[in-house]
Amino acid sequence: MSGAAMQGAVHVDVRRISQHFRSGRGADLLALDRIDLQARRGEFVSIVGPSGCGKSTLLYIVAGLLQASDGQVLVDGRPIDGPDPDRGLVLQNSSIFPWRTVEQNVAFGPQMSGLPKSERRSLVAHYLDMVGLTKFAGFYPRELSGGMKQRIAIAQMLACGPSVFLMDEPFGALDSLSREVLQDQLLQLWERDRKTVLFVTHSIDEAVLLSDRIVVMSPLPGRVKEIVEVKLPRPRQETRVLPEFGRLRNHIWSAIRQETMEAIG
Amino acid sequence: MTVVTTSDQTPRTATDGQGEAPARHSPAHTPAPAGQKAWSRLVAVARYYPVFLIFLIWEILSRLNLLDPMFMPPLEDVARTFYREVFVTHELLDHIRVSFMRAGAGLGLATVVGIAAGILMGRVRAVESFLDPLISALFPTPKLALFPLMMIFLGIGDASKIALIFLGCFFPIVINTYTGVKNVDKFFIWNAQTKGANHRQLIWHVIIPAALPFVFAGLRVATSTAFLLIVASELIAANDGLGYLIMFAERSFDPALMWCGILVIAGMGFTVDRLLLALGARLFVWQDK
Repeated sequence: MSGAAMQGAVHVDVRRISQHFRSGRGADLLALDRIDLQARRGEFVSIVGPSGCGKSTLLYIVAGLLQASDGQVLVDGRPIDGPDPDRGLVLQNSSIFPWRTVEQNVAFGPQMSGLPKSERRSLVAHYLDMVGLTKFAGFYPRELSGGMKQRIAIAQMLACGPSVFLMDEPFGALDSLSREVLQDQLLQLWERDRKTVLFVTHSIDEAVLLSDRIVVMSPLPGRVKEIVEVKLPRPRQETRVLPEFGRLRNHIWSAIRQETMEAIG
Repeated sequence: MTVVTTSDQTPRTATDGQGEAPARHSPAHTPAPAGQKAWSRLVAVARYYPVFLIFLIWEILSRLNLLDPMFMPPLEDVARTFYREVFVTHELLDHIRVSFMRAGAGLGLATVVGIAAGILMGRVRAVESFLDPLISALFPTPKLALFPLMMIFLGIGDASKIALIFLGCFFPIVINTYTGVKNVDKFFIWNAQTKGANHRQLIWHVIIPAALPFVFAGLRVATSTAFLLIVASELIAANDGLGYLIMFAERSFDPALMWCGILVIAGMGFTVDRLLLALGARLFVWQDK
């Protein structure tokens, strides 16, 4: 079946990406050192690591927002050229537009691509319903909670119809309850549509819960330390109690404990 | 850099409150009944009672012959003169119209050019490095000092005054716009780019709305500058306009007419500023206070 074949094909291909930054004092800083990473179509890949490992930088490079110093990112075999609505991005701090209502925020992408107003309306209604914010269509973001804002950010991305989701600690600023709710909602969404996801997080639990594979990175310079397969059964809503969950969690933690200590100290 | 933010905005929330608001904003979403609205308007006017009090004291003192009528004629005389000038001779209306036209032309031109230049400076490195030193060097110069020069080039008619007001208003607008554009959160821009916004759409749908509160603050400063410069330039050299009227009245020993001009220009300044504030409150409903 072509569907099964598609499932296995490499969708996002990160090839030997390096990134140099010039620090404030003029010193050359290697943020990413020859990163290789492949995500197959429909795969959920998390990137974890202590702060300073360049995981967000890597995601912005894949998004086309930053130019890598060296290396290449291919999507469906073609090198990327700048940002594209096919690679949707959700950022940690709500980057939704405060001057637009919830509804207008979700409509942003379709509006940019010139979709007629009537079609836009039904599309927006669909995605607002999906994230459960229909009642708040006319509200401004400042009137909403952090969790709601992140749901708008997700709906805003979905409305562009991307085939790749790039998520940069999307739940990082939320309280732990909202966080679990949004993790479950993201899982449901993903299990239904099976988009390719690159998910940056500093929470090992979150990575284990959501992912098919976890890319563990170490800092200074940012390198891929290990890639961990997560073979937990799906759907994953009840997975947190399985012994395998704890085992994976401890394994990843021990892999980056040393570097994390150093990064903090 | 002068960054002036609009103070004085009453906090507002969205008025379309369908469904329930999140708990922390609950009370603001029900529209006020009509009677309550009229009452709150009355309260808003009553807030200015000190102004009316001063008018009252003025009138009483001049009735008691405690004020020299050459400086402070009874308020009643001023009101009488106002009535005559507005409803009988219509001369005051002409002066208002002339002053308003000059100020409006200068301010309007400064708004368009200032916003355009500010956006370009904020987005195009070459424009920034060209204009920034020019603006830093020229901004502290009192623009009124250039007025004699402008009269040489442009004559004593409308052109020199419009040019002066343009120059005075241009700086607060361009500097605020530039600051606003420079301060647009990188993540807003990134978010828009990954949602398919091209360069023009980015400017129009992200940069401008995000910078608008700054632009607006600049506009407010520019408006008061426009009033200042129109009166000053008409005091110096003009055949009509409110500044001319004030000067003319002073020279012809007509203090009632002079006060008439002063109060009209004060009233105009106040009204325009209030209108701007009301517009701002409407435009920036979305802002956290």
